[in-house]
Formats: sequence, structure tokens, C-alpha cells
Amino acid sequence: MTLLGRWLVAQVGRAALAAWAIASLVFLLSRLDSAKATDLLLSEVDSLNSTALRTDTDATQRQARQAIKQRLGLEAPLFYVTRTQQVGVVKWHWHGLHNQYHQWLVGLLHGQLGLSFRDGQPIGPRWRAALAYTLPLTGLATLGAIAGALLLGLTLAGGPSAPALSGWRAGLHTLLTGLQALPLFALALGLLFTLANPDMLNILPAYAGSADTDELWDQQALRLVLPVLALVLAVLPELALLLAHTLRHELGSDYATTARAKGLSNRQLLQKHALPNAILPLLTAFAGLLPTLVAGAVVVEKIFSVPGTGRLLAEAVAMHDYPVVVAGVLLTALARLLALALADALYAWADPRIRLLS
Amino acid sequence: MKYLWFSWVLVLGSSSCSLPAKQQAGTTVNIRWNRDPENLSPLAQPNQNAVDAATLLHCSLLQVDLSTGTYSPALADSLPRTRLLGDSLTHLQYQLRRAASWDNGRPVLATDVAFTLKLIFCPGLPNEKARAPLGFIRDIKLDPTNPRRFTLVCRGQAPEFSFESGDFAIVPEDALDPTHSLRKFSVASVATANATEPTLAALVTRYQQADLGRNPKRLPGCGPYKLAKWKTNQYLTFERKTHWWADNLRPAPFVLQAKPAKLHFRIIADDATAALALRRHELDVLPQVSARDFKRLQESSAARQSFAFYSTVSYEVVTAGFNTRRPLLRDSLTRQALSKLFAPARLLQATQLGQGQRTVGLVHPGDRRYYASNLPLPAYNLPQAQTLLQRAGWTQQATGWTRSAVGSQAERLALMLRYRTDEPTFQTIALQFKAAAALLNIPVELRPTESSLLTTALREGNFDMYIRIQKGNPFAFDYAAMLHSRNAKEGNFTKFGTPATDRLIEAVATAETPVQKRQLLYRFQVMLQQQAPLVPLFFLSYRLVADRRLQNLYPSALRPGYSAPTITWAANAAPALAQQ
Amino acid sequence: MSQPVFRARATGFWFGVSWLLLVLGGGLLAPWLPLVFPPAVPDLQHIAEAPLWASSPTHWLGTDLQGRDVLTELLYGAWQVVSVSLPATLLATIVGALTGGAAGFWGNKGLRVSWAGWLAGAAAGWWALALPGRGPCSLALVGLAGLAWWYQRSHAAKPSGWPLPLDSLFQSALTLLGAVPRLVLVLVFAAGPALGTVQLVVLLVLVAWPEPASQVRAQMLRVRELSFVDAARAAGLAPTRVWYRHALPHACRPLLATAPLSLAGLIGLESTLAFLGVGRPPDVPSWGNLLGALQQEPSAWWILASAGGTLVLTLLALQQLAQQLGKRR
Repeated sequence: MTLLGRWLVAQVGRAALAAWAIASLVFLLSRLDSAKATDLLLSEVDSLNSTALRTDTDATQRQARQAIKQRLGLEAPLFYVTRTQQVGVVKWHWHGLHNQYHQWLVGLLHGQLGLSFRDGQPIGPRWRAALAYTLPLTGLATLGAIAGALLLGLTLAGGPSAPALSGWRAGLHTLLTGLQALPLFALALGLLFTLANPDMLNILPAYAGSADTDELWDQQALRLVLPVLALVLAVLPELALLLAHTLRHELGSDYATTARAKGLSNRQLLQKHALPNAILPLLTAFAGLLPTLVAGAVVVEKIFSVPGTGRLLAEAVAMHDYPVVVAGVLLTALARLLALALADALYAWADPRIRLLS
Repeated sequence: MKYLWFSWVLVLGSSSCSLPAKQQAGTTVNIRWNRDPENLSPLAQPNQNAVDAATLLHCSLLQVDLSTGTYSPALADSLPRTRLLGDSLTHLQYQLRRAASWDNGRPVLATDVAFTLKLIFCPGLPNEKARAPLGFIRDIKLDPTNPRRFTLVCRGQAPEFSFESGDFAIVPEDALDPTHSLRKFSVASVATANATEPTLAALVTRYQQADLGRNPKRLPGCGPYKLAKWKTNQYLTFERKTHWWADNLRPAPFVLQAKPAKLHFRIIADDATAALALRRHELDVLPQVSARDFKRLQESSAARQSFAFYSTVSYEVVTAGFNTRRPLLRDSLTRQALSKLFAPARLLQATQLGQGQRTVGLVHPGDRRYYASNLPLPAYNLPQAQTLLQRAGWTQQATGWTRSAVGSQAERLALMLRYRTDEPTFQTIALQFKAAAALLNIPVELRPTESSLLTTALREGNFDMYIRIQKGNPFAFDYAAMLHSRNAKEGNFTKFGTPATDRLIEAVATAETPVQKRQLLYRFQVMLQQQAPLVPLFFLSYRLVADRRLQNLYPSALRPGYSAPTITWAANAAPALAQQ
Repeated sequence: MSQPVFRARATGFWFGVSWLLLVLGGGLLAPWLPLVFPPAVPDLQHIAEAPLWASSPTHWLGTDLQGRDVLTELLYGAWQVVSVSLPATLLATIVGALTGGAAGFWGNKGLRVSWAGWLAGAAAGWWALALPGRGPCSLALVGLAGLAWWYQRSHAAKPSGWPLPLDSLFQSALTLLGAVPRLVLVLVFAAGPALGTVQLVVLLVLVAWPEPASQVRAQMLRVRELSFVDAARAAGLAPTRVWYRHALPHACRPLLATAPLSLAGLIGLESTLAFLGVGRPPDVPSWGNLLGALQQEPSAWWILASAGGTLVLTLLALQQLAQQLGKRR
């Protein structure tokens, strides 16, 4: 137990360190490009107001940009040191603690993620609000996909032990492959047009964003059905086919032949012996899904109008709202690193031969 | 695959079974917004929805009357009286309505207007967007004898000043500056002040602490509605004030009407989802519908029964532009030749399903006074393009078109065309142009560009040609922003402009009489065709689908394309509705 | 092995091979086929039209949102699959297998780098970053590295050094790619000049390698504890050889199932990239762009049927081939 404890502490420490490094990298890279952010604040893309431009000369535009920079704190030097290159001579300048990176880092250590460029709102609450929508959505979808994959994987592998699938199993296999070939948006739109269409089955709400606050919880749950279904169908094929593949391989190995010779039924063999051996890739895929719990799924969130983290992040990137992006990167990186550690722990639990890597 | 086949059936309209429409509660109108307004402070309006929200919460001196398409007085009791001083100053005298008052009963006075202007010009506030269109206002002079009368002092002279000067939301002084600390400053001194000036810095702090972007209640406007609920990226509900100052005005001016008791804006990002929500009667008004969705809805018999369809030609024109600084495109003949490679008629049919209007120039074809209808419409003409290229000095060879440039080696005609990635219309136009150019053996490189990067690329002149939407309005004929050499770094992406065309554009902008304006605009439209720095292909339509029982939508060529506050439910539509 | 089983395997195998050859042939020969409509030329009279076999000339598979002939785009798009998507899938799988396999096999402590190596690395870094005192400091570090190397060679019997945290580096790279929104990654590319085929493949590999890599790493954690690996080690084989010849082939097993499927993801990514203005110009026909048209025109069943159907067949063919590859082992 103490070994496990020490391993956990080491993993969390390492995750924090790596997340900090990645967020710092993105912070610095994005700030190099802050001119675009100020441009977008001045005028929305493609709607350059004609009256604005008549009265505004280049000089007043420059002034306005300067004012925005000052307001957003983009005037301070970016980092402790900067490097300039003039005619081949590289020079390093030391700026001390008064720099953008230091301010961000200090804020971060106090638990503040900063303020949005676009509206000056604190970022933390906004991410919390978005997570409240994304977590149930992606959480349910992950559980659904894992359950579905176990079910379908066992079904697909459960047939007679010929190497080629036959009959309806082959059909199921092809169906899953077909699902995999569909882009996510086509899947989501397809569900929408079948299950929420007055001309077709009109049984589910068309969008997940609640229409009003005084809605009963069952109606709100109903609104989640379509987006969850779309996400499950999107990730299910790969998980199920992977599991089926490894299961069938296990069934063809020597120990399975021995066990069959001892009189074990195919079903017992699958569940008792093959599954524990075949579960490893599924766990990996599961760990790969965990970060989307935080990062959300843009396509589904947009089509079903879920105000989740995926859209928050995508819109922030499109609008060059870098503080929101950096916060998103930090959270996603942390989730991903912890998921990787969790996966390692699960490997060791699933197969006692595997030692925890320190 | 199966379900998409079925949805095809929907398109053909052969199946129709819709659930009974949900009963509308009270006089509520549900409208689709495609994105969150993000910020409801009248100073910073990041998108069109925020602008629309501001007209519900606040009143301006003058507002656009969608029934006539003109500015008409809202808080002001009439259009301002204009007085020209010398040749560089304008005085505009306004008088506020006697009835105008804030929610707490205090009258709206000239001091509130002065405070609003100071807020707009105060350094350190996020007011760049509000300031930009009002940059010509220098100062405000209050009338000591009449607290409702004031004069705006404007730099420069232009007929548009009279209405542009009144188009900003007036906010109450008492909410942000209860001690009237800003009264000792003039607007001019605020604009030039340092952000560290203690009084101004205190105001900035108060403004930021109030967090007005999310809490418009802290700056209560004198508009007809108040924000009742706002769930980010989900919905906003505006409730009609039970007692509003303009209720007692007889006759009620169009811009001061507010009929629905509740306006419910649902934020649905995806177009297909929004169309379905309309079909399910979760929405009553669906503005800015794409041509294909519009047609799909029209073709469904069930939808035809319950919805009305509106389409108006807007002031947005799809244009192709040339980078006139490039040696290849410096002469107008080459530009004219390349303009002949676009096929506006077929493109309008293909991309907008025929809804919209072809045009000879940038003047709206619906404007009969100024539109030069006797000029030829731009049209696809391959032989003419070839002749024009030859006249421009190009010779056709096996490898393409070349001509000898002055003082350097021969130049070869090859083009790079940029446009926004997310608009299928642009893509179709680009492919059509490329195919036409290929017939003449002119290579064209297509560079679809992500929208934020496109603006940068255009500003830096990193393109040969572009396709984009140019937005206009019916009020002003000022083309300086997009075609004056003075703005070559900001809005004039074509970098076009000769002293003669600059003078013409300035003359058009300042023309006083309609006759003079007509002559100058005619010359301008002729010049645009001859010089061809850009080719206006066609004006787009605004399409609106709304519940059949809704009346007084005033479908309009101006954003947002309808008038939310005037909407009423037909009296016989649903008896339950009339109660509230 | 009984006869019918063999035949069943052969059918699948031959189906896979012949379909892929068909795709390859279609892509290569498209310019010489008697197609009615040239690629990337919009037919403005027929925008997003379902196949109407009565009219003439006929769009046999309908047109897309830009009025391009779907059949022509499918055939020409096959070249894009052969030249970009398939190589990218293959490369991503290989890169993933090697990196994930190495990280899982050696972990954080398994691979030792000598002091000389560390010092030489530091010298190179100092020089590359042009840190203050570039010349003298790098030189001093190189000198120290030489000294360490000489000392190692002449004195120490056992190789010493500091372990390279291979697994941590691997996990961090994985996290970096996973956490930085794809949009940011792509915007970096979008600002630059248009991508050629090679750059596009590299970009796709960059996006796609983490998944196979984590699969192989997980499997490797198990495989390296298996008895036959221990036996190979005990027999005195070099670790690299044990890793490559014995452990890696076993650890790569799950890839046989996932790698063919990842082609679909990469083709889908093409339309995402096109939306961001990265990747091939829009006049280069591709299956991804065809499928992407569904987003604007969700009722275009004919595009879904033709492009989706072709893609499914390709995936099935690849699965069959992968299965045969697994059997040969």
C-alpha cells in the first residue's frame, strides 16, 4: 500500500509538472500572436463598419489598438528574458519579475485562471459552467460506450471458433465498420433527422440546451439522449471491434485449446479466461476517452446546442481569446495525464504480472 | 444511411405528420439567435445579437425605423437641427422628449447624454467599438435654459452626421456617477485625458466592478424591456416593463413600440437544428435562414401550412476584389478582363437559388434614385476577356499569358485567390472562376483561409484576388472606407485609389442635393466599372421564416432582418394568447 | 488446418487485395477514363442534385454542394487516399508502434545514457539556443564530454550514466498533442504557405500517432513480463534485439484491429482541415471533402451512399488484409 501511495504521489507530481510545462508553452506561443487578438476586438471579422473607417484614420486605429493592449496587460514584456537578433548577433535581455508570464503564473498559484480577452470575465466560473454540461454528457457517453463495447465484443467473439465471422456476426461487423466510416457530424445530423423530425419520428427534443429553467428533470434528461447516443455510436465501433479482435485471438491460443479440452464451455472460457487477457487494449482506449470528459466534443455540442467545454474552447480559439484557451489546455493536460496514470494503475489491477512504472 | 434517405423524403414533402403545436404562453415570441451576445454593456457590443439586445434595453436619440428604412427620433423629439460653422465644423441641436424618463421616474436629461458621451470617450474602458463610429463628435454643449436641449459639436461636415450622431444608447448618469464627478470635464478633455487621472480612474474601477457585460440591470436603460434571464449559450429572456415612459405617447412612433410581453431568444448554433426546432414549434421566428434550408422548408407541405416565408434583398453584396498594388493587376484592362470570367447570373442561381439580385455596382438596385440601371450588368464573357487581355499587353503562349514588364523580365499571368473557408458560396464562386480561367489557360491558386487569418492577409496585401461580402446601408453613400487611397491600410483591401477617384468619392460623400448626388453616384458607378478594383457580383437576400400567425415582423434589408418589438400574434390565432 | 477455413480466409484476402487495387487503379487512371465531367469544375445548373438518370449528360452519382460530379470526385479522390491517407495511416502506425513500444519496454529507468552523452547533448542545446557565452560554454561542455568518455573507457568496468526518462517524455508528448486543441496546432500551419503532400502526411501523422502508440505501450507493459522475453534476455541477447525481434511483434497485436479503422478518422480529418484552410486546395478532389459536404447539405443521401459506401469497402478491405497479416505470424 505504501508502495502504491508513493507511486500515486509521484504520478500526481509528475502530472502537475508536465501540465505546467505544456500550459506555459501554449501561453508563451499564444502571446506571441496577441496582435490578432486586439484586431478581433476592434472589429469583427468581415464586418468592417464603413462609418468607423471613414472617421478613423490609421492613426486613431493605432491608438485604439494601443488602448486595448494596455487594458489587457499585453504591454509588459512576455517573459523573464527575451532574445533579440540583429544582424546575426543574438542578445538576451533580463526583464525581472514584471512580465506577463510571471503575472499569469502567480495568479495560477493562487487558483486564478485569469480574465478573458473578449469580455474581461474571470475564466474559472465560465469553465465550471461549461463543465456542468459536458461532464454528464461525456461521462454517460463513456460509460455507454464501454458497456456497449463489452456486450458487442463478447457477442462478436462468441461464435464458433472459425477464423472468419459468419452469418449475422459478419453483418454486425460490417455495420460497425460502416459506423466507423461515418464522420461524427453526419452521425449526429442523421440521428437528429430521424428522431427529432416532425416528418419522421418526433420523439426527442432537437436540442439539448434547456429552453427554460422551470423544466422538469425528466425533460432535461430527455434532452441528453440524442447527444449521448451520437457520442456512443461514434466511439463504440472501434472499441467493440478491438475487443472482438483480441478476444478471438485469445480463443485461438494454446491455453484456450487446453481449457476446451478440459470441458470448459465457450462462454465460460470467454468470460473467465479470455476477457481478462483481452481487456488491456480496451482499458487503453478507455483512458484515451477520459480527457474528453473535460475537453468536450465540439461537433456534438454544436449540433445539439450544448453549451459545453468543447464549444467554449473552439470559440475561444477562433476568437483568439488566449487566456480561455490556455486554461483549457491546462485542464485538458491535467485530465489526460491523470488518465494515463489511472490507466497504468488499471493495467496492474487487470494483470498482476504488470508492475507499476515509476 | 437509412435515415438520410428518409430525410430526403422530407425534402420532397411527401410525408407530413407534425405534433400539435405547443400552446404559446401569453404573448411570448421565441426567436432564434445563432450565438450568445456575450456582452450586454452598451459600450462593447461584440456581435449583432448584442446590438439587437441593446435596442431592447436602451433607447438612442435616433433609431432606425424598419417600416420606412430611415432614422427617426426616439429619445429626441425630432431630427437634429444642423448648423454649419465655417467649413470644418457642424453643430447639431437636439431636444429630448418631455416624456422620456428612467425607470425610477427621473427624467432623461441632456446631462445623461453628456455622461454617455464621456463614457464612450473615456480612456481605459472597453469602448473602442462604441467610439469608432462617433469619432467625429468633438464636444457637447448643454443649454443652460433648457435641461433637455443640447448641441453636439462635430468635426467636419457631412450630411450623414445628422443621423449618425444620434445612434448610440443613452445610459443614466446616476447609475455609474451618482456624485456627478464627471460634470467638471468636457467631452474633449475626457477624450484626451490620461487614464491615470483620478476621477476617470475611479469611474473605470466602478465600471469594471459593476460587471455590466453580464449584469445589465446595474445600468438600467430607458428601453422597453429588461433582461429577465440569461443562460450563456442557451437562452435570454427579455420582459416588457409594465410601465414604460413611451406607453403614453400618442400616436406611438414606430421606433417606440414594444408589443410582446416576453421576448425569448434561444441560442441554437447549428442551422439544421434550428430549422428542426422551428418545425417543432420551439421557435416562432427563424431569421437569417440559408437559401437551401429556406427551400427545404418551403417544399414541405406541413411547414408551408404553419409558417410564412419572407425574403428581402439586403445591403450585403458578394464582391470579388483585386489587389491593385500587384504589378499584374495594376492596369484596369487586366482587371476588367478578369471580371468577365465570373458568371454572376449562374452563380446567383446556383448558390442562392436565385434569391438575391445582380447589380451594376455598389449602389443597391432597389434604390431607384441612385442606381445606374442603364449600365451593363457584369456578365460572363470569355471572348471579351481574351480581347481585353490582349489590349492590356498580354500575349497568349503555350505556357500561358505573358507580357514584358518595364525594367524587368517578362511577367506571367497567374493568380492567387483568397476567400473565407466557412462559406460554401465563396467556394462555388472560386471554383467557377478557376474553371473559367483554365479555359483561357490562366492558372489560379485557390487559398481558402480561416476567417481571422483572412483579415490579416487582406490587410497585409497577401493576395491577388479575394471574394468577400461587402456590407452597406441605405443611409450613407460613403465609399471612402473601401475605395479611398487614404484607407489603403485598413478597409480598402484592394489598395485602390487615384487622386481623381479619391476626389469623386469625397464628392459623393458630401453631396448636398439629391440631383447632385445622383450625378456623382452615376459617375462613381461608371468609374467602378471602368477601373474595376472590385466586381460586385450580386446582393444577398435576408430570408426569414416565421409562424404564420405572427404579424408586424417588418422583414427588412437591415440587420437583424425583422423587428422584434413590434411583433404581434394574430388576434384569431389562438384565443389563449390574447389574455395577457 | 482444414480446407474450408483456408478458403474462407482466401476469399477475404482476395477481396481486400482486389478492392485496394481497384482504388489504386481508379486514382491512377482517372485522368484517362472517359468521364463526362472534369474534376473540380462546378456544374452550376446542377447543384447538390440527386442522380437523375434520365437527363443527359448524366451525373451518375449526383453532384455535390458546389455542383461537382460525385463520380468524378470519387475516382480522382482515390488518388488522394492512395498518396496521402494510406501512407499517413501506415506511418502513424509505425511511428506509434516504435515510440510506444520503446516507452513501454524501457520505462523511465531502463535506458541509460552515459555522462558523456548527456554533456554532449547539453553542449548542442547551448549552441542551438545561442545562450550567453555561446562559443566558450559549448566548447567547455564538449571538452567535459570528451573527458567523461575517456574516463569511462579507461577506468570504469561497468557503464555508468543517468537513465533517460523515456516513458515520461513519451507521456508528455502524448499529452501535449492531446491537450493542445487541434485548432491551435492547425492554425500554426494555416498561417504559412499551402501544404504539399509530404507536409500534409507529416501533419496527419503528428495528429494520428498517439493512439497506436498508447495501445502498443500498454501491451508492451504486459509482454515484457512474459516468460519468453525473460528467456531471450537470459540468453544474453542485446536489449534492442530482444525489444525489436521478440517483444515488439507481440505488443503490436491490437494494431491489427485499430490501424485499418484509423484510416476513416484521417479521411474525416481532411474535411476538418479544409474547413480551417489547411491541407490540399479545394480543387483537389478528395473523399474527405465529399463527406464534408454533408455538413452543409445533410439530406444529400447520394453523397453519403457513394462516398460513405466506398469508404466502408476500403475499411473492410484493409481489415481483411490486417487479419491475414495476423494469421501469418
